[in-house]
Amino acid sequence: MVIHDVIVIGAGLAGMRAAVEAAREGLNVAVVSKVHPVRSHSVAAQGGINAALKETDSWEDHMFDTVKGSDYLADEDAVEVLCREAPADIMELERMGAVFSRDDAGKIAQRPFGGAGYPRTCYLADRTGHGLIHVMYEQLAKKNVYLYDEWHVVEIVVEDKSVRGVIALELLTGKLHRLHSKAVVIATGGYGRLFNTTTNALSSTGDGMALALRAGAPLMDMEFVQFHPTTLKRTGILMTEGARGEGGYLINKDGERFMKRYAPKTLELASRDVISRAEQREIEEGRGVDGCVLLDLRHLGEEKINERLPQIRELSINFAGKDPVREPVPVKPGAHYSMGGIWTDVDGKTPVSGLFAAGECACLSVHGANRLGGNSLLETIVFGRRAGSAAAGFSFENKLRVFPEDALKDTARGIALILNRAEGESASGILKEARDAVEGHCWVFRTEAGLKQGLLEIRKLKERYEGVCVTDRGDGFNTELVTALEAGYILELSEVMLLSALNRTESRGSHFRTDFPERNDREWLKHTLIYKKDGGYDIRYRDVVMTKFKPEERKY
Amino acid sequence: MKTKFKIRRSDPLKAEPYWQAYSVEVKEGMTVLDALLKISEGDDPTLSFRRSCRSAICGSCALTINGFPKLACSTQILPIAKETREVTVEPLSNHQVIKDLVVDFTPFWNKMEKVTPFLLPADETRKEWVIKKEDEKAIDRAQKCIMCGSCNAVCNSLDVDPNFIGPAASAKAWRFVGDVREGHRKKRLERLSGEHGVWDCVRCVHCTEYCPKDAAPLEAIERLRAKAIEEGVVENPGAKHVLSLVDSIKRVGRLDEAAMTFKTLGFLRSLGMIPFGLKMEIHGKLPHPIIFLAIEGMKEVKKIYSAVEKRRKKG
Ligand SMILES: Cc1cc2nc3c(=O)[nH]c(=O)nc-3n(C[C@H](O)[C@H](O)[C@H](O)COP(=O)(O)OP(=O)(O)OC[C@H]3O[C@@H](n4cnc5c(N)ncnc54)[C@H](O)[C@@H]3O)c2cc1C
Ligand code: SF4
Ligand code: SF4
Ligand code: FES
Repeated sequence: MVIHDVIVIGAGLAGMRAAVEAAREGLNVAVVSKVHPVRSHSVAAQGGINAALKETDSWEDHMFDTVKGSDYLADEDAVEVLCREAPADIMELERMGAVFSRDDAGKIAQRPFGGAGYPRTCYLADRTGHGLIHVMYEQLAKKNVYLYDEWHVVEIVVEDKSVRGVIALELLTGKLHRLHSKAVVIATGGYGRLFNTTTNALSSTGDGMALALRAGAPLMDMEFVQFHPTTLKRTGILMTEGARGEGGYLINKDGERFMKRYAPKTLELASRDVISRAEQREIEEGRGVDGCVLLDLRHLGEEKINERLPQIRELSINFAGKDPVREPVPVKPGAHYSMGGIWTDVDGKTPVSGLFAAGECACLSVHGANRLGGNSLLETIVFGRRAGSAAAGFSFENKLRVFPEDALKDTARGIALILNRAEGESASGILKEARDAVEGHCWVFRTEAGLKQGLLEIRKLKERYEGVCVTDRGDGFNTELVTALEAGYILELSEVMLLSALNRTESRGSHFRTDFPERNDREWLKHTLIYKKDGGYDIRYRDVVMTKFKPEERKY
Repeated sequence: MKTKFKIRRSDPLKAEPYWQAYSVEVKEGMTVLDALLKISEGDDPTLSFRRSCRSAICGSCALTINGFPKLACSTQILPIAKETREVTVEPLSNHQVIKDLVVDFTPFWNKMEKVTPFLLPADETRKEWVIKKEDEKAIDRAQKCIMCGSCNAVCNSLDVDPNFIGPAASAKAWRFVGDVREGHRKKRLERLSGEHGVWDCVRCVHCTEYCPKDAAPLEAIERLRAKAIEEGVVENPGAKHVLSLVDSIKRVGRLDEAAMTFKTLGFLRSLGMIPFGLKMEIHGKLPHPIIFLAIEGMKEVKKIYSAVEKRRKKG
């Protein structure tokens, strides 16, 4: 059996940052990732990363914007850490080799971003995530972190409420391996793939959250998913906010700029949740075009589009077959960011001893009911570092505890069951129905009846999943088996999300209940916590941590 | 529109790769990756291929599509299908196949590791760097690389010598050598100028032509070569060859092969010549090695040289 001090699951920005930090302390650190690090979803982030760098800006202002943006569901102690430590982390990224776009004086340039009162978003053109993920991968090589690339973690092994390591499937050979460690950091990203229409990578299936839940850690605020208003019709590929920032219109089938009815002042520049809801209403009330509304850039002219929005044009042509210079591009809301996740403290610690989490899979919460653009990349760096450091600290203080004898056997049996089942349903079939159910009932608008219906459907699908079978019986690169495993995580998380959404009888940030359209601070300034218990779920609540700001109406 | 997909498949348990045909209903806007997903979610779940971002930024899905390397996720089907009736999909060439469309990337990553793929800052304690836009521009193109492997798949030198560092790792190397913060430029250049290094590129331009992200690896190679000469890293056959070429033309207006060989193989160049080799390399102006006897245009040759020299002095 292989032994490491710290094992990090996931090689996105959060996972690699954690690994680099733990390795810095001289420990034996490994990263296990189902896709090669540079293929991780973080690579797709476009807009940038926030930090109050300028003298005329301050971390307190950054904190205020974040708390307000969160619709007052963020924990202020965590937000304070995020904003206070941001500037030093950005400077450290630069020392590692990150390239940021520069201003005329040669300093790191910053651009304005939605919901922020100051231009504090650092960026590298429109490929910030790409730039950062390659830098972090470079650091991984520099620090000699051991990399298990294309290894899929199928189990986090816990005994007596303390973590012992993980079990992972090596994609190349189909073999299961035990990786024994003192500490485990989960950094597996978000759960955008619970939905059909999402901006997330195909690999954002929420694995780590489902595994953590099974291992005894609670998930927090899973009902909160940010919907981005401009994603491409069939693929959900993101058209950045810049398209509207540069003056793009949103029109319905009658050519009407419908935002004037929903947000007469800010129009297309209203906040993401407001626009998403407006679009959805247009579509549902029959003023959409084939399930979409239209993003119209034609009036900007070819020159401006080429100069300011080259990526938008390229994406529209390549992925939707539409040239925005000549025709409007069909767009609709798409699931974009998972606010919910594994509950941790500001050091990434979960209630399970030795188990840590960071990045989009974690929930501290710094984003509350709605994340601000540019804050999630920051979260991966700040809390990735902190989790890595805490996991290292834990490894120094604790001895390696035994890896339970039967763990591997049990996991192997579960997988063999799927592989050897002679007949049954395909995972992709089940997944399709699950996503339809989730998208149908836990979308931009939610109601009690819909959520209950969704739960019913997901529970039925969970039963059917017990009979899932694969046609590919080969060992090497069995992607069908991986899909089947992911379907299991997706079903589990869908149920948890629906349950959390059903119980939250108010509307806050991204969570909108048509039957409870108001924010209810008296009863709902609290986080949803879900534990797994005896095959079912135990729902608890925890008060929001408030230190500085009083909740006020969120108006922009 | 029903479209025929011919996919090159390999099963580790079967000896020979084989072609399998699928018919896919293609709608407007569909990409090759969409078609592969459709096949694997319906007709044939055993088909293996890599994918992640499906937006041309993660580098997972480079495949040989109708004979050329392309990202499956950014390749629209209808335009090709209209032209060729069918779409063939094969794994990347120059790479060992693991299963179906999945190839072994280990050699690719190993090459990356060979170029010490991280910044070694000149000043570790510096709090903040002031970097001019134009300095950043020098490495911007190379930095766009998504490590998809398309360039290595079509590289002629790599085809002949699997140990050649290759275009992708060269682009990565330039990203550091060209970075104003880098502190070990010369050492890097020395290693890159060694055996299987950047001088082994035959400049077929394939890498730049097929790169889906406009990272232009050949440009990086040319910049590396130029920088090597500039930094005096000339004790290697590649640089010597270039320098003696420059010298030969200056002297006799043509390649004096005998002398060149001698020089390439072991004659320390006076540093004075270095800028010429450098400039010509940068502008891709080194003539092909064709032997002419005539040197009537010597005057013109001299003029060219002094013009280049002038431009160099101007910077
Ligand atoms: C299109 C788009 C644009 C965005 N733009 C911005 C932006 O401009 N600014 C901003 O702040 N945020 C942005 N975001 C959000 C931000 O990119 C993400 O929140 C962030 O990158 C998440 O990083 P992560 O490290 O937590 O996870 P990820 O990058 O998702 O990485 C997850 C890792 O876990 C691994 N993994 C998952 N499951 C398993 C398993 N079972 N076994 C082994 N490994 C596993 C994966 O292989 C991967 O390496 C954007 C998001 C999208 C979708
Ligand atoms: S130009 Fe050089 S590196 Fe590029 S493909 Fe040709 S031989 Fe390879
Ligand atoms: S240089 Fe271009 S073709 Fe080569 S790996 Fe990078 S992105 Fe792909
Ligand atoms: S799937 Fe990421 S580049 Fe094609």
